[in-house]
Amino acid sequence: MNVAMKIVLSMSASASLLILALLTGKRFLKDKVSRQWQYYIWLIVIVRLLLPFAPEINVMDSVRQTVERIQHTPDNVPDRVHFGAPVVSQETDDQKEGAFTETTLADTACQDIFSLLREYTWFIWLLIALGMLMRKITAYQSFIRYVNAGATAVADTGILDRLAEMEKQVGVKRPIEISVNPLIASPMLIGIRHPCIVLPSVNISEKEFYYIMLHELMHYKRWDIWYKWLVQFALCLHWYNPLVYLMSREITKACEFSCDEAVLIKVGHDNAPDYGEVLLDAMAAIGKYKEKLCMQPLNGNKQLLKERLGAIMQWKERSKTTMIVTGALTLGIFFGAAFLGVYPVTVAAHEDITEGKRSDPVMESEEKEISVEMAEKFYEADSMLLFAAAFSDLDEEAQGEWLDRIYADGEIAFLSVCIDDLETDATEIQRLAKKAYADGETGFFSVLADHMSEKTLERWLDKALKEEQIAFQAVLYDKLERNDEWDDRKAAVSAQQLEEYKAYGIVSDGKTYYYKEQLVNVFLDVHEEGKFYTLNMDPRGIVNVKVSRTDDGEIESVGYMTEAEIRDLFGEEN
Amino acid sequence: MVQQISDAELEIMKVVWANGGEPTFFAYLTDELSARGKPWQKNTLITLLNRLVNKGYLKAKKMGRCNEYTPLVSETEYQTAQTKNFLDKIYEGNVKGLVSNLIMGDLLAEGEYEELRQILEKGREKE
Repeated sequence: MNVAMKIVLSMSASASLLILALLTGKRFLKDKVSRQWQYYIWLIVIVRLLLPFAPEINVMDSVRQTVERIQHTPDNVPDRVHFGAPVVSQETDDQKEGAFTETTLADTACQDIFSLLREYTWFIWLLIALGMLMRKITAYQSFIRYVNAGATAVADTGILDRLAEMEKQVGVKRPIEISVNPLIASPMLIGIRHPCIVLPSVNISEKEFYYIMLHELMHYKRWDIWYKWLVQFALCLHWYNPLVYLMSREITKACEFSCDEAVLIKVGHDNAPDYGEVLLDAMAAIGKYKEKLCMQPLNGNKQLLKERLGAIMQWKERSKTTMIVTGALTLGIFFGAAFLGVYPVTVAAHEDITEGKRSDPVMESEEKEISVEMAEKFYEADSMLLFAAAFSDLDEEAQGEWLDRIYADGEIAFLSVCIDDLETDATEIQRLAKKAYADGETGFFSVLADHMSEKTLERWLDKALKEEQIAFQAVLYDKLERNDEWDDRKAAVSAQQLEEYKAYGIVSDGKTYYYKEQLVNVFLDVHEEGKFYTLNMDPRGIVNVKVSRTDDGEIESVGYMTEAEIRDLFGEEN
Repeated sequence: MVQQISDAELEIMKVVWANGGEPTFFAYLTDELSARGKPWQKNTLITLLNRLVNKGYLKAKKMGRCNEYTPLVSETEYQTAQTKNFLDKIYEGNVKGLVSNLIMGDLLAEGEYEELRQILEKGREKE
């Protein structure tokens, strides 16, 4: 199954437990803890539903490990199920074999369909989630448009001024628009970017106006509409989880209750009856439109209102004990959320990179054995890419051995494919580079140099300069992309060279070569056997000249090249 | 289309129009309106100004922390539009009816009748 899916499902699982805990808690502690707390405590659950972070050790992780262990055992014991007693005769064994083949065929077919489904569940999930989200947004937008279409802005400056005063009282800086729409059920606050309080009518008493505005302004001030949308978002992501819907309903109710509480805190306990009266009047209003996404209309439904009235009447100042209990509960839920945890993101990331590679120790040793065999096969068969794949699965020791073998066999191509996986400046690379340098293998060294950091290359260059290893210098300059320096060096060397050549009858300007005053076609100067040479060709030339040197690099002799030597030279090149 | 504005909004526009083509500052508006007997709350004024901007009567520009407003609809434009509305609604487009009412209903002051007649003459001459 896709890792994203696993993460989402584990978040859902953790959150579900929390939701159940909170719902049961609510039944018993409804009147003991503040309504505000009951509203905001759900935020922890929302966070659990939306953010896949958790401490390293958590319940979901252990669940995952157990699940994986269970999942793997059947794979390791393929179809070798032993029914019943060990006393089995030969015939029965054969019969069983036959039966096995049949079931396995059917099994694989089923498995294929299932695995296909499992691979693509994430897609279906995402599709539905996005669909839901878009529908909610468009529905809300059209609702706003509908309400605004039938609404007239309140032009009475008296009312506007009263609203402005209340905004000051409540602590709302930005002025809220206010309009009237006779079709709506009861006062509501709509709009996110341009919030607006819509009333069914302005022909209300001062008291009514006061409490209604206070209530709606409170909703605005506490960003309740954002909280509500957060819940909707979580609902979309976890559309398959019925508990999340329950939570959404609970939060909506808690929103209104906590808003009532906030209003009462502001106006004081003595005004509770007045506030209750306003609610009652709102209950009597006849409405024509209902919508869940705006602030619950003041009259929501009768049941809810009765509850709210009750809560308002019973509301009293928070006692010390309630605060302690509340505090303890909050910590409990918080740590519950953290430690219920989530499918670990690090494991998920790892899985993504090494597709299918299990981090389960049970599988690892088996895989290694297979890889060793495969590596051998592919190497023999000259399949470089397959070999590289098998190579990357081996442990460091095995890899080291292989690298030595490849080096000994002179398989530069294999080497370059293999070390692609290794890190820059890996110990293996360094070890092999030292070998190649000592043996003068510029080809191998060059391949290894591709996986060295600049610092390392520079250290090597210093060494090569000190030891006058011209060939290696060339390689290193090239890797460091300091070709100009190299060209300068080459020029310096050449100048020295030309002097040498003169002594042997070779005259050259670096481009054209004359031997004994004859234009040279192929000019070959092998400085060190197979490592560094000057090769020059001029088709107009009439002679082919070769310069032989001693081990010290001194010119030993200069002579003409034979046909065979020419063929060798160009045969190799081809 | 020149939209309808409320009385309060009209008050604001009158102050802005009185400023000629010069942009009007929020602070100036508060003071002027107070002077004209409309000591509204700050938020009330902001709400009304926003409405005027949305209806296309004003253009708001943020100058530092305050806003300044320039009229997009001139006073004459507004008056003409309102007059046309009025004419259409009450007199069904019949100007004669309006003018005769002005005269008959004794709505014209002493010199006004003469002035109007002169304007009419000049208008006829042009034709």
